[in-house]
Amino acid sequence: MGRRIDRGRKRGTEQNAPRKVALVANCLLNQNAKVCQGAHYPGLVSPVVEVLRKRGYVLQQLPCPELAFAGVRRWWAVYEQYDTPAYRTHCRRLAQAIAPLIEGYLRRGDEVILIGLDGSPSTGVRFTSSKPDWGGRPNRPEDDWEIQPRRGIWIEELEAELARRGLPALPATGWALDMGRFDEAGARRDLEQFLDSPETTEGSRDDGPVAP
Amino acid sequence: MNGDARGWRMALVPDALINPPEQARAALPDVLGVLEAVIADQVAEYAHHGYAVVAVGVRGEPGEGLHWRRLAPLLRHRGVALPPRYLVRPQVDAVAEAQRFAAFLAGYDLPAEEQRRWRV
Repeated sequence: MGRRIDRGRKRGTEQNAPRKVALVANCLLNQNAKVCQGAHYPGLVSPVVEVLRKRGYVLQQLPCPELAFAGVRRWWAVYEQYDTPAYRTHCRRLAQAIAPLIEGYLRRGDEVILIGLDGSPSTGVRFTSSKPDWGGRPNRPEDDWEIQPRRGIWIEELEAELARRGLPALPATGWALDMGRFDEAGARRDLEQFLDSPETTEGSRDDGPVAP
Repeated sequence: MNGDARGWRMALVPDALINPPEQARAALPDVLGVLEAVIADQVAEYAHHGYAVVAVGVRGEPGEGLHWRRLAPLLRHRGVALPPRYLVRPQVDAVAEAQRFAAFLAGYDLPAEEQRRWRV
């Protein structure tokens, strides 16, 4: 499952055998990282862990760019508010730090996937939150935003960094936690379908671009 | 915090406790330089805002799995008291170890005054 760039290299010893690695959004393993009023679980999002573990994935937690940039008491925000040169530079720095690890996974033949957080301005994969005219004092719950089908800033920068290294795009999906109304059963079904889909299970094992 | 389910308590844990031993990280690049600084920043952020943070290592792992020698000075530099640490002992009776671990976790939180200040 997921992307490999080992050109079908023979499998080695058990310790060196390819693994299934899931890069997981920080807040899916620690809801304390969520923006104020955004945590749906006390700690980790247990259904995500259950579904990935059941399918034999190694979990690799990604850093949370928002927490490192704006702190744990930050306001909620939309894509456009984080779309600044300084925040993109911050995300790029994190991406450059984590990319060698991802590249290492891929080069040893591991199958790598990315699980983000749909609706998030930073970690959205299929969807992000958008409201071009948001600004000033937050006014919850009157404030309203839209869901747009695009990556969040952090995922954009992470994927750009992987592309700069000549690595293939990772199969990716998002846990739909920040979409306005959270439906745990629906989110679980989505994730299971993604993990079991032929595109994800076959990925590009032998046809992905290979860096020199 | 109305409608917010966060637990306000968290543990720094090594890869060895998250993923099965047979899946232990193979030889991969050491990317921890920048990431350790990010981890230290985040622990500082939590510690300064009402969260109870502990660190859980594994006896017998290199650096107890926590990279403590590198992380501790980074935390001190950020004005953070080092979190209470617990070392899991893989070689002892699992039930007894689980009880000891549970007692450690149950016995640590921030003082009530700090909790009231932040956890509203």
